[in-house]
Amino acid sequence: MRDRTRRLVFLALLVAMATALHVVEGMLPLPLPIPGAKLGLANIITLLAIYLYGFRDGLTVALMRVVLGSLISGMFLSPGFMLGLSGAACCTLVMALLLKYTNCFSMIGVSLAGAVGHNLGQLLAACLLLQSGAIIYYLPVLLIAGLPTGFITGFLLNSLLVHDRKSGILRDLVRT
Amino acid sequence: MNRKTGLLFVAILLIGGLATLQYFRRSYEYSSDQFLMDTLVSIKAYGKDPSTVKRAVAAAYAEMHRIAELADGFPQPGTATYRSSDVCRINEQAGKKPVRVDADIMAMLLLAKKYNQMSDGAFDVTIGPVMDLWGFGDKNPHVPSQEQIRSALTLVNSNDLMIDEQQHTVFLRRAGMKLDLGALAKGYATEKAIQALKKNGIRKALLDAGGSIRVLGVNLRNAPWRIGIKDPRKADAIVAVLPLQDASAVTSGDYYRYFEAGGKRYHHILDPRTGYPATSNMSVTVVTQDAGLADILSTVFFILSPDKALEMARKMAGVELFMITADGHIRHTPPLLSGIEVKAGESYLYDQGR
Amino acid sequence: MTRADKILLAGLLLISLLSVAVLYGRFSIFPAKAEPVQAVITAQGKLVRKIYLTEGVNSSLVIQGRVGPATVEVDGTRIRMMGAPCTGQVCVKEGWIGRPGQTIVCMPGEILIRIEGAAPVDAVTR
Repeated sequence: MRDRTRRLVFLALLVAMATALHVVEGMLPLPLPIPGAKLGLANIITLLAIYLYGFRDGLTVALMRVVLGSLISGMFLSPGFMLGLSGAACCTLVMALLLKYTNCFSMIGVSLAGAVGHNLGQLLAACLLLQSGAIIYYLPVLLIAGLPTGFITGFLLNSLLVHDRKSGILRDLVRT
Repeated sequence: MNRKTGLLFVAILLIGGLATLQYFRRSYEYSSDQFLMDTLVSIKAYGKDPSTVKRAVAAAYAEMHRIAELADGFPQPGTATYRSSDVCRINEQAGKKPVRVDADIMAMLLLAKKYNQMSDGAFDVTIGPVMDLWGFGDKNPHVPSQEQIRSALTLVNSNDLMIDEQQHTVFLRRAGMKLDLGALAKGYATEKAIQALKKNGIRKALLDAGGSIRVLGVNLRNAPWRIGIKDPRKADAIVAVLPLQDASAVTSGDYYRYFEAGGKRYHHILDPRTGYPATSNMSVTVVTQDAGLADILSTVFFILSPDKALEMARKMAGVELFMITADGHIRHTPPLLSGIEVKAGESYLYDQGR
Repeated sequence: MTRADKILLAGLLLISLLSVAVLYGRFSIFPAKAEPVQAVITAQGKLVRKIYLTEGVNSSLVIQGRVGPATVEVDGTRIRMMGAPCTGQVCVKEGWIGRPGQTIVCMPGEILIRIEGAAPVDAVTR
């Protein structure tokens, strides 16, 4: 009972953090002149949730973040929301698979794959929404844009976990 | 907890799925062309149910036909269309007695008077006598003599257009005066047609009345309609593309109806203050919600000097102006900057700062 | 950063560059074949003819309008109103058209020539 409550609280915190990052990031002017390419800081939290609790809770955090973020920014059910939903789902799936079935990647590798997965998911949704295959020409742009953003988010999480390996705060929070 | 999480997923997937479905649902498109008011009127309307869409489009055309009949200035005397035209009856009774008119003609003339005052006479629906002199619709349009124009101009004055709102009557005070609603009837009718579409449940439509555009909602890609502005000098070119949503774009240009005499081009938009074609601009496009207002203002701004037109447009809320001046400069009101794509090319000068 | 990370990064980079080459390079290797556009001619609301505008195919045809016969000329990928029985001759002055979305209208004759296909804009204000 205590564990479940703890987990619930911690997951709620993760969702709140992810939403905050998502919304704040949306307010920042794009560092890149490419629509659809974002830093994806909220992915740090998604990856952390997968790392701590597994795929299912990671997906909860990711999807809740997209829904809440879009509600806050007034984009709920808009095309942008659909793209975000599809991107977040793909990203979470890719990262969870890599975390569960491989152990040769660090968080940087996982995050890289996740960022690329996110962009592919967005592109797929855009193809469906616009009912046009022409958007595939955007693929290289998004692929390349995913590399630095994935690297940065992965690097940030890696630093966090390295720090945690010494202090053990996160592990304590999860286990007890 | 697990069960709840599962439920949450299902809920999110359901919402997402429904939203996607809503997005995917192909709406029914019905488009139709009719020759009306001296031009081709195309209506494209979208809706879920074919019969509703068709009924709405029919209602829109009916509304336009009704206004067209009321405002038609050129039918043969004695015919049925002549008797049903309020404008013809007003012209016939000029200097004699007031004529009872339809509420829509009343509304149009009140608008005309308002913008006559606002533009200091640069817009005048009593331009009829001068228009007749030039004969733009005739077989052989020609340049009238200065003397002819001077005498016809004495009959042009909106102050002698008496409108009695209580009695629903209109009276041209002096014999020989003549109304010409060419500068606003099409826009007014367009707006009426759009309101008819709306009333019949249409949320998404494009009405193109000979280049006067009015749109409802957004286009099939759920983005604002993309409306090109015609290049006034190149036959099949566009100088800019405007995003348009629930608004109208009407253009007045010197290239649409014109004739050439002695190497000079004479077009049909006359300056009521001189009796000659206005010379400040090549093309003026007005974007505002109401198509009737857009039609009037495109003529007003076309006739005024570019500086005066821009100043007047800036003072009006919800009115945007895009113009190509006679010396080839592209100018527009600042808010148009967001979303407009200008393709000035080599033909025109475009300084964004202005 | 582990070795696998580096391999992944290199692999993704390679795929991205390859996709650039494949997608954007294709335009130059296989230039897209232009679809012939279709001109649709209607008179008084009724469909008269549909003509594919194809390079090298020329023709002229006479359309019976409301006020008399009008002559339409097709020159490869473009079409125009060559002669019309009306006074204004607006349609003749319009000149050649050939791009999707363009139209020529003869008012008195109630003749409409429209080029079909996906137009870059939804409508043109003029």
